[in-house]
Amino acid sequence: MHLNSLYTATLFFLIWCTPSFCEDKNQTNSLAPAFRLNGTKTQDAFGTGKLKALHSTVRLLRNNKLIALGTLISSEGYIVTKASSCVGAREATMQNGKSYSLKIRKRFEEIDLALYQLISEKEKFDFVEWDDGNLTSPISWVFSPYLGLQEIRIGIRSGNLRTVGREGGVMGVLLGRDGKKNGGVEINEVVPQAAADRAGLLAQDLILSVDGKRVLKKDQVIEIVSSKDPGDMVILEILRKNKKKQLKVTLGHNSVTFELFNRNLQMSGPVSKRKDNFPLILQHDLPLPKEGMGGPLFNLEGKCIGINIARVDRVTTFALPVSTIKPYLKDWLSSPD
Amino acid sequence: MPLPFQHILLTFFLSGVIGFSEVVDQQAWEKKVPKNRDDLAAIQARLQELIPMAQKALVSIEANDGAGSGVIVSPDGLILSAAHVIGQTGVDMEVRLLDGRRAKAVTLGGSEISDAGMLQIKEAGPWPYVELPKHHASKVGDWCFGLGHPGGFDLERGMVVRIGRIIEKQDETMQTDSRLLGGDSGGPLFNFEGKVIAIHSRISKESDQNFHVPIESFQENWDFFQNQDLLTYENIERGGFLGIACEETEHGLVIQSVIPGTAAEKAGFQENDIILKVDDVVIKNREKLTIFISGKDPDDEIKIEYQRQMSVATLKLKLGSRLE
Repeated sequence: MHLNSLYTATLFFLIWCTPSFCEDKNQTNSLAPAFRLNGTKTQDAFGTGKLKALHSTVRLLRNNKLIALGTLISSEGYIVTKASSCVGAREATMQNGKSYSLKIRKRFEEIDLALYQLISEKEKFDFVEWDDGNLTSPISWVFSPYLGLQEIRIGIRSGNLRTVGREGGVMGVLLGRDGKKNGGVEINEVVPQAAADRAGLLAQDLILSVDGKRVLKKDQVIEIVSSKDPGDMVILEILRKNKKKQLKVTLGHNSVTFELFNRNLQMSGPVSKRKDNFPLILQHDLPLPKEGMGGPLFNLEGKCIGINIARVDRVTTFALPVSTIKPYLKDWLSSPD
Repeated sequence: MPLPFQHILLTFFLSGVIGFSEVVDQQAWEKKVPKNRDDLAAIQARLQELIPMAQKALVSIEANDGAGSGVIVSPDGLILSAAHVIGQTGVDMEVRLLDGRRAKAVTLGGSEISDAGMLQIKEAGPWPYVELPKHHASKVGDWCFGLGHPGGFDLERGMVVRIGRIIEKQDETMQTDSRLLGGDSGGPLFNFEGKVIAIHSRISKESDQNFHVPIESFQENWDFFQNQDLLTYENIERGGFLGIACEETEHGLVIQSVIPGTAAEKAGFQENDIILKVDDVVIKNREKLTIFISGKDPDDEIKIEYQRQMSVATLKLKLGSRLE
């Protein structure tokens, strides 16, 4: 009787298991999306941390269009976000679909952060729990809320914790010969769509002076221009077909101007405009578009270790670590209950 | 006569036991999907454990028109990389290890079909290296991690690690959702045993569907690649032509279709025939067959041993030309 039962059981087990085996076999050519690194099943493994993350992030809108994410830092509805991404933000929406008007409270230009407040009479907001801890531990899981605040994106931190230096302004020209013979510095090529192009500079123009200073060498032009920031204006005096002319050039970003020619950036899609001049960054590989900046970055425990501050290319995002941002925000932070 | 419900009880009891033993034996990265934070923590800990060994063998390769990556796989400095990084055979290049050491290397062979490429460091070793796995050491769903120098060597940034899973694997290509950028090309993809299972090849438009050369492509064609032969599309154009499309399966190299008017059709090959040997060399790999056939000239005679249903036979045939 026992043997009989075992036999029947084994048979039943086999029949019961066969369909699922077949299903698996059909899938050997391709891993189902849910099981991939950013699949819904993998996201679910982050458990309550995932939900807490989605509840402490907001979407910032301008004319009903998402321009950045924001990170809730206190129960009074204070949020921080990427300053250069959120100019003109008037409205914020949350994971549950609720919408709030926004008030700007402060901008911290040196680290590209802006402080806003959600306007609400009596509501208590969820906010992120910080992890000021040991950031030197390399190669660890990180995740951030994705644009619609219904999903997260998963990746790992790697690369060194480091300073990213300042990038000066550029005109977007390739300078040619210099020398006393010419009495100025010749432009060999103008980068299409870049600052100089928009200002009307042409190849073969001879630059005589920059902001009133005579220039005879390439390096003199570069020195003056790169001491200024992107967005600043310089006044050029040029010689074109034996006629002197004055032109105003609003400077561009080095990376955006010249890296248009860089194949890696062409493959990356839109990147953040400001991705330089940060006192300290940590690097990760979350697949977030530039509108995904300003939101929080979490570790496996669901604690916030930084604010996403720049999409650099398709494998690189920079985040400002907690130790860098906290001193700026100390007057507005809620202490955890 | 036992009652029916007893069977059912026993069934559940048995499947319960089997299910339980699977859970106990399985590492987090062997599960179909990580279930919770403990599983994720185990994957993270394993990754941290494997990186120190893996990174020592990583090199950045400075080629004439850009930078790529590679991995050292023997103490005397044999490097696996991508065909599009080495470009051609016999070219001098410089490689740089993560610790800053530089060495002169020369390109060997490879294949433009799979994008496999090899180099040899010219200076005396021993060099730090990583081991290769046994055959067919990876499958769809496996967790993996990639190393490389995206955008080129950057001392301040240091090494970058990307994690993912194998999402597709067939013939000469493997796809993962581990992220890649130019400069990663030729860099190694490791499994969670710390063995090299593939080499980064091409990025896809989607950032989570990138292409890699499976290590099997190197293992099947090792001598050819190491002897400074590079299979190019030009070679294939000019060389002998059989006229079949085939697929790698667990049974062997199965003919999917026979092109009308070619040497294969004239010889009488049919769909579903399995290629076993060519000129007495066992061939299970599609790329190896192409290397073999295009290494011959049009009109050369070859001998093919094949299986049709249950019987094995041998055919002699004269190769044609692709240009006809």
